[in-house]
Amino acid sequence: MTDDITPDSGILGLDQVLAVKRGAAGPVVDVDEPSVKLVVFVLGTDWFAFHGERIKEVLSDCPVYFLPGCPTSLEGVINVRGDIESVIRLRVLLRLAEDGGAASGSRILLGQGAGMRSGIRVDRVEDVMDVPQSAIQPPPHTINEHLRPLVLGIVPFQKHMVTVLDLERIFLDYRTGGL
Amino acid sequence: MALDVKRFVARFVEEARDHLRRLEDGLIRLAGGSADGEAINAIFRSAHTVKGSSRMLKLTAITETAHKVEDVLGALRDGSLKPSPDLCRLLQRGVDSMAAQVDQVAETGTPSPADADLCAALSQVLAGGETAPTPPAPAEAPPPPEVKLKSAETVRVQLSKLDELIKLMGEVVSSHARLRQRLVDLRGIDRAAGGAAPLLQSFSRDLRDDVFTQEVLMEELHKKALIMRMLPLSIVFEPAARMIRDLGRSLGKDVQCVTTGMDIELDRQLIDRLSDPIVHLLRNGVDHGIETAETRHAAGKPAHGTLKLSARQDGGFVVVEVGDDGGGLPVEFIRDKAVKKGLLTPEQAQAMTETEIIDLIFLPGFSTSSIITDVSGRGVGMDVVKRCVVDDLQGSIAVETRPGQGTTFAMRLPLSLAVMRVLLVEAGGQTFGFTAQYVAHLLDVADDRIITVAERKAVIIQNEFVPVVSLAELLGLPTPPAAKRGGTLLVVVRVRNEKLALKVGQLLDERDMVIKPLPEHLRQLPLVSGMVMTGRNDLVSVLQASALLDAARRQRGEATAAIAPDGGRAGIRVLVVDDSLNTREIEKDVLEAQGFIVTLAEDGQDGLDKARSGHFDAVLTDVEMPNMDGFTLTAALRREDRYRDIPIIIITSREKAEDKRRGIQVGADAYIVKGDFDQGNLVDTLKSLLG
Repeated sequence: MTDDITPDSGILGLDQVLAVKRGAAGPVVDVDEPSVKLVVFVLGTDWFAFHGERIKEVLSDCPVYFLPGCPTSLEGVINVRGDIESVIRLRVLLRLAEDGGAASGSRILLGQGAGMRSGIRVDRVEDVMDVPQSAIQPPPHTINEHLRPLVLGIVPFQKHMVTVLDLERIFLDYRTGGL
Repeated sequence: MALDVKRFVARFVEEARDHLRRLEDGLIRLAGGSADGEAINAIFRSAHTVKGSSRMLKLTAITETAHKVEDVLGALRDGSLKPSPDLCRLLQRGVDSMAAQVDQVAETGTPSPADADLCAALSQVLAGGETAPTPPAPAEAPPPPEVKLKSAETVRVQLSKLDELIKLMGEVVSSHARLRQRLVDLRGIDRAAGGAAPLLQSFSRDLRDDVFTQEVLMEELHKKALIMRMLPLSIVFEPAARMIRDLGRSLGKDVQCVTTGMDIELDRQLIDRLSDPIVHLLRNGVDHGIETAETRHAAGKPAHGTLKLSARQDGGFVVVEVGDDGGGLPVEFIRDKAVKKGLLTPEQAQAMTETEIIDLIFLPGFSTSSIITDVSGRGVGMDVVKRCVVDDLQGSIAVETRPGQGTTFAMRLPLSLAVMRVLLVEAGGQTFGFTAQYVAHLLDVADDRIITVAERKAVIIQNEFVPVVSLAELLGLPTPPAAKRGGTLLVVVRVRNEKLALKVGQLLDERDMVIKPLPEHLRQLPLVSGMVMTGRNDLVSVLQASALLDAARRQRGEATAAIAPDGGRAGIRVLVVDDSLNTREIEKDVLEAQGFIVTLAEDGQDGLDKARSGHFDAVLTDVEMPNMDGFTLTAALRREDRYRDIPIIIITSREKAEDKRRGIQVGADAYIVKGDFDQGNLVDTLKSLLG
């Protein structure tokens, strides 16, 4: 630090701070609690998130190809470095209203879970962040009946309530035809 | 079947060398005192394996040595002998001697006799004698063999590594297509420049040469890479044959299994998935196909049943046949069963031809075995077999059955799934691919050759009505307005004996392409069998021909259901005889739409049999058919009391006046040429004849 920081100036130097810390006897409390990584994204006006460990990649500018005979919940397929991956319309799976075409900031999340891998179409990726486990609150009772099994909880973020979705469950339901 | 010893010998040599190497390592550790119980156990097993496999091939000289070495190792294992440097040296001699014998087998096919001194010494050790003061290399011993270092002729590679290599090779091939596209772009630029830049022109030429040279090399490389993953069919055939003999015994049926064509090699990807359908078909053969010894005896057949498992090359394909010499498929029983199960109405069942009835066994949940056994008959199976062959292996399956003589299932499979000939077409603004084995014809027909029959379009190809549908419409894509060029491009796909003409916008390309599988969870999509990458790096769906036929049939079913039957014609029974499935189907649709009850027959003989066993108010017949032609059928029917006066209509593509004359001569009431066929004509003719 600098020389002009002295006890007289009213600002504590590092040494003093440490000394004070040491002096304040008492057990050291570990305040670190387990945190989770969330990939926060937007669909229309709603904010959602997936657990970071389920999202392998965020793809942009990826051309989606038509696949004849596929259900409406599938947008098509993409080429990820030689592997073919499907693109799921999350909007359809969550029964959200359709709003026009894909926006310019539109992204595809490459998710993995329930023994499958697929792209997931979202309107915009907002952030990837770490939040403490405790910040995730249980889903409110007002939540839509069909969404309830898919929701892990909600977490406030930038004045929005972000719904944390269970990708494992979504993929599982998708595979078994539940969605 | 003669045992192909040579092939087994090569395998033995490879395996024995492997084990001898392990023995050697183990002995070094033993001599160094670092060998624990498990290590001794392991080298004991190696010696044991060498003994066993040499005995199987009657290489007794090796067996003898191995046997002695094994005994000594056994004694070491149970502790009755203690390792000593002398003992280790003796064992080492045994191993060296076996190695030399194996080398001789590899070179000449026969090993030199076992070293008597060595064997005696080993026996002596076992007999409790001190480790023999070994007479190492007596004076009269042959001069020490020339020491040469062997290099292995084979390398073991993990399959996953090979798969990675092949996948990467596929990527290289795909990306090369992009390079070719760049070349086309460059030529475009050159043209736009109007040849003003001679440098550009020569650059373009050089690049073209380079790209093509590269392409040749790359294709060669890709082919070589694929060959590395090829395995002989014996890998599937041998265990299957063994299993079948066991199964026959457990069912109390004496069964022999004859295999041919085991040397044919297929991509491992196919081999892996081929085992299940083959085993299933063989089991069915033993369980349902082969009769009991008494029944066989009564039929004058040898008591033991024979199953044939054969493979042969057919162009770029391999045909694997599984056949039995049993009683054949019970066609009438299957027909009844389909009705009982509610799959068909009795009328529908009666109207179906034998081939169509046999196809029913491939429906899910359809089992013909009256008793459910452990082996088969639970109704899971034939549909799985078909799905596996058609969807997973990109092949086709056909059945041939003769009452009293047996049934043969023939599977036609590509040699490799990695590369296939693909035709690219444009329809509804999208690109689609077809694998070549399903494409029967490519036609550019004038619009007036597409005729309307029973509210839908058809074209006549080689004396056969083939339904025409627009590919875009079938796939639910917007259909672009028809181009004004006075013709229609048709891709005619064929699955077994059924054809479908698909209207497409353009033909784009045709070449060998690497087919990429869809992700697991999309495999149940019936229309798409995989994807290919084009020069523009776009992904294109490769369409599954059988699913297209199904889709077309569904569309047609809806269309025919929409036509209200005329009503007035109810109860009038018509027999339609034609060897083409498509033609029969179309005529049937036309007539059913008018309220007629239609029965189908697939050739003249079949028609005559059906006419004799039932009653019909009118007969429609083709001329050229196997077994019995339409003229003969007409003449034969006219000789029957019941059919002397009923209307017989000949429908044919023969337009010659003399054919017409002949038709009238044999007694036909009307002669309709397929070329000017339209449903009104047929129905009007029929109605007027019926009065």
